[in-house]
Amino acid sequence: MRLELGYVLINDVQFGEVTKIEKGVLFVNKSELINLIKEDEHLKSVDVEIARPGESVRITPVKDVIEPRVKLEGEGGIFPGVLSKVQTVGSGKTNVLKGCAVVTTGKIVGFQEGIIDMTGPGADYTPFSKLNNVVLVCEPIDGLKQHDHERAIRFAGLKATQYLAEAAIDIEADTVEVYETLPLLQGINAYPDLPKVAYVLMLQSQGLMHDTYVYGVDAKQIVPTVLYPTELMDGAIISGNCVSACDKNTTYHHLNNPVIHDLFKQHGKEINFVGVIITNENVYLADKERSSDWAAKIAEFMGLDGVIVSQEGFGNPDTDLIMNCKKIEAKGIKTVIITDEYAGRDGASQSLADADKAADAVVTGGNANEVIVLPPMDKVIGTLDYSDIIAGGFDGSLSKDGTITVEIQAITGATNEMGFNKMSVTGF
Amino acid sequence: MVKEVERAGIPVVHICTVVPISLTVGANRIVPAIAIPHPLGDPKLDPKDEKALRRKLVEKALEALCTEVDGQTVFDK
Repeated sequence: MRLELGYVLINDVQFGEVTKIEKGVLFVNKSELINLIKEDEHLKSVDVEIARPGESVRITPVKDVIEPRVKLEGEGGIFPGVLSKVQTVGSGKTNVLKGCAVVTTGKIVGFQEGIIDMTGPGADYTPFSKLNNVVLVCEPIDGLKQHDHERAIRFAGLKATQYLAEAAIDIEADTVEVYETLPLLQGINAYPDLPKVAYVLMLQSQGLMHDTYVYGVDAKQIVPTVLYPTELMDGAIISGNCVSACDKNTTYHHLNNPVIHDLFKQHGKEINFVGVIITNENVYLADKERSSDWAAKIAEFMGLDGVIVSQEGFGNPDTDLIMNCKKIEAKGIKTVIITDEYAGRDGASQSLADADKAADAVVTGGNANEVIVLPPMDKVIGTLDYSDIIAGGFDGSLSKDGTITVEIQAITGATNEMGFNKMSVTGF
Repeated sequence: MVKEVERAGIPVVHICTVVPISLTVGANRIVPAIAIPHPLGDPKLDPKDEKALRRKLVEKALEALCTEVDGQTVFDK
């Protein structure tokens, strides 16, 4: 499966008469976009704001971040099984609006959404402070249940990115990258001397709005399976998560998965990157056992020499992570796991809820309990009402002048477990 | 908590959904629970069946408490 990604570089976003891209500027017809999102009868009001890198702007509570992409050639459309028909994606040509994103906000659960600061110390912790963000501020109709609210906001974000991405249909990309993965047997034969490596991608699926969707299927209901890496680049996996902001994988992360991009960089040189195994993080022990058994079984079946496993979230998913690691290692396949830590504010507590000797190669995205002081911003998109109860916040987090003292847990993407952040540690 | 109470000489049964974590932290008597969001019940059952399920769990835990163990034991039969 071969995909050409055309990067259309976006340096600025502005409101304009017509939605279009001109010389690296994305112009957005605000009322047209609002009317499109307001078609959903679950939303009472919709507003659109723009937040650019370096501006004194705080966006909170953030639900999801999504990158606009549009399919030019090849089967299916972006977000298959959700916005497009459920056809297999990942081949042909796709244009990407690089440098901008759609950010959805909403007090769905209140404490389980995040903060994006566009400047100041908090901006260093989130990759999304470097993007030109089109922010959707949506209010639900009165009495709307949380699940329906989450769904409405999820679709609002996806629809907005689809609308913006269409502006890139006739635009020539600034740079083009090609990614290709061969069918397994051909792929193995292509580099017989290199170690065969796959990526085990764990998807948050604890339910109660801790959900991820694969081709439209709730990931709770999948058993582990194999994807071509390029399928993810076309939106095969989307986030429906209201969980701690620092280590949830937003849809932007899934589209730009850095583990996949790094494995492609080494493909044919140091390793033979043969594919992606996806698995879930369910709340029943039987599901955890079955999914980790199957992830290990598929890794063995593919004849792998090594895997990289990435986790999403923390707490009981630590067990899924360790079970995957232990069972894959037991098949004689080397593993590296990527996680983050909840080691207390002083870093002295045990980092993970579970552990095993087999987990002897660990990459961390940082300690989510570290405390940071976020100075006030000139403008807040969304509301500060939840700063005291946001995951990572505490009573007294929000000062009168708008300063927020929180654990970095509250910052969207701060300790991302795909490594889409700057923090890590070296240990021996 | 499990370990501290046992250190004081009082046997403990840990009713817990994620048995591997219970094993890692060192509980000696482990009774598997239903699910993480609802360890001691199941909202999908009707109230009568759920009560029966809960009673069974408690009885199993009491039985475990009265059972001599030689190291970590999961009561999953």
